[in-house]
Amino acid sequence: MTTEVDVAVIGSGPAGLTAAIHAYQTGARKVLLLEREEELGGILKQCIHNGFGLEQFKQDYTGPEYAERLVKELEKTDVQCLLNTLVTNISADRVITALSPENGALEIRAKSIVLAMGCRERTRSNIGIPGTRPAGIFTAGVAQRFVNIDGYLPGKKVVILGSGDIGLIMARRLTLEGARVIGVYEIMNYPGGLKRNIVQCLNDFDIPLHLSHTITEIKGRERVEGVTISEVDGDLRPVEGSEQSIECDTLLLSVGLIPENELSKKAGIELNAHTGGPITAETMETSVPGIFTCGNVSTVFDLVDYVAQTGAAAGTSAARYASSSPRENRRSVEIVAGENVRLLFPERYGFQDDLILFIRAAEPVEKPVVIEVTPPGSRINRPYARPNEMLRVKIPKGKLAQLKDSITVNIREK
Amino acid sequence: MAVEKRHFVCVVCPIGCEIDVVHDGDKIISMEGNKCEKSEEFVSQELIEPMRILTTTVRIQGAMWSVIPVRSDKAVPKRLFPRIMKQLRYIKLQAPVNMLDVVVKDSVGTGANIIATRTMPRE
Repeated sequence: MTTEVDVAVIGSGPAGLTAAIHAYQTGARKVLLLEREEELGGILKQCIHNGFGLEQFKQDYTGPEYAERLVKELEKTDVQCLLNTLVTNISADRVITALSPENGALEIRAKSIVLAMGCRERTRSNIGIPGTRPAGIFTAGVAQRFVNIDGYLPGKKVVILGSGDIGLIMARRLTLEGARVIGVYEIMNYPGGLKRNIVQCLNDFDIPLHLSHTITEIKGRERVEGVTISEVDGDLRPVEGSEQSIECDTLLLSVGLIPENELSKKAGIELNAHTGGPITAETMETSVPGIFTCGNVSTVFDLVDYVAQTGAAAGTSAARYASSSPRENRRSVEIVAGENVRLLFPERYGFQDDLILFIRAAEPVEKPVVIEVTPPGSRINRPYARPNEMLRVKIPKGKLAQLKDSITVNIREK
Repeated sequence: MAVEKRHFVCVVCPIGCEIDVVHDGDKIISMEGNKCEKSEEFVSQELIEPMRILTTTVRIQGAMWSVIPVRSDKAVPKRLFPRIMKQLRYIKLQAPVNMLDVVVKDSVGTGANIIATRTMPRE
């Protein structure tokens, strides 16, 4: 079966839902939303805690409520949704191959495509923890799915490695469900997750957070029986003699997220080694004309509000692209990460829209900082810069019109 | 009541001020480290009774999934979380359930209702 559409959106999490709504609102008439699961909403469905949409809707929603609000908005449009539909290929000339039990093999020719596949979790093999390979080792998100969707408790005596937000959220969730969370161990000397999660998920339940610690061995034959914890030095190497044995039946890993770009690679989209996502312009366009990106497939964001904001931009741009003749001038300049900047999104500026920059600091600065964007020489003040809290700044299009070369972003102490 | 010192991290906004408070029971004598006045309200409430929104799941029958997410419709005393959790352990809903449907009225005398946070149609 072959279909032709204006805009095809891949993935129906917060990024994809917002992109589809905005593509339709911008004027694209044939918008198709492809979702591999049986329901819309993506990972929001299992994020049952509150704290979503504070910025976008001025409401303190849980994940499912946030998703349902977006789905209700989507239902006011004529966007067509295909559930249980797995995209297996995207080509550079925007032909999508997808499979579903209902429709079999599908070929979708799209005038423009929005990538909204989200991210996946880093696993034990990504970080290489030595020891045996027993049952009872889960990524935090998998444990979250077991508890919140399937209704199973994955274990009773839990150690959490890594202080990413999902790990912190699961520390509280498992405690509420009657498990004992012994502690959260973080290799860095600062936490990975948001401060409010440290307070509300760990401190509230007297769960200790051990910074500069890692797991150096997993023990157990059939099931996890314990782990060895070691302190690490300034170079993140385990300190000899600091080993400590801890009994547990479950190990959760909250050690980072990776944008899910297997499909992007097939379309020949150029990826950024730092973010793991496509190299993107402010319009959310990737290196392949007519293919746009948004949400966590682009770079891993801290807040759903940021994800939705990029979704809106991608949907709008994709609709614009679908309705116009291809742009001749694709001139763009690079945006370079300078002093104390670990990564940036987007990393190119193409002279179409205002530049909304998401910046992650390399090192924490607990005093006032200035974010310098040069040219045009904008200086934006912030009370602090922390690697676990993305900074966002907006540079109006008008200020960037005369630009010739690259833009550099620095974070400096004030 | 004796004068005591306590450390708080304010969660009113993302800055997360680290605050040292000297207090006598629930009366604040002095506080240090907060960048705005909103922290005062937060700290006084923390001294009187820490209040939080509870989010969890309850069992459901006749739906695509075996549990459905719920939350308290307003903040409840944190110390009552175990009691509310225990109450919810015995609840079994029947699909269909609509988002914001009341699952438990006035849970353990808090005045807060437990409400569903998603719609779950009948399978």
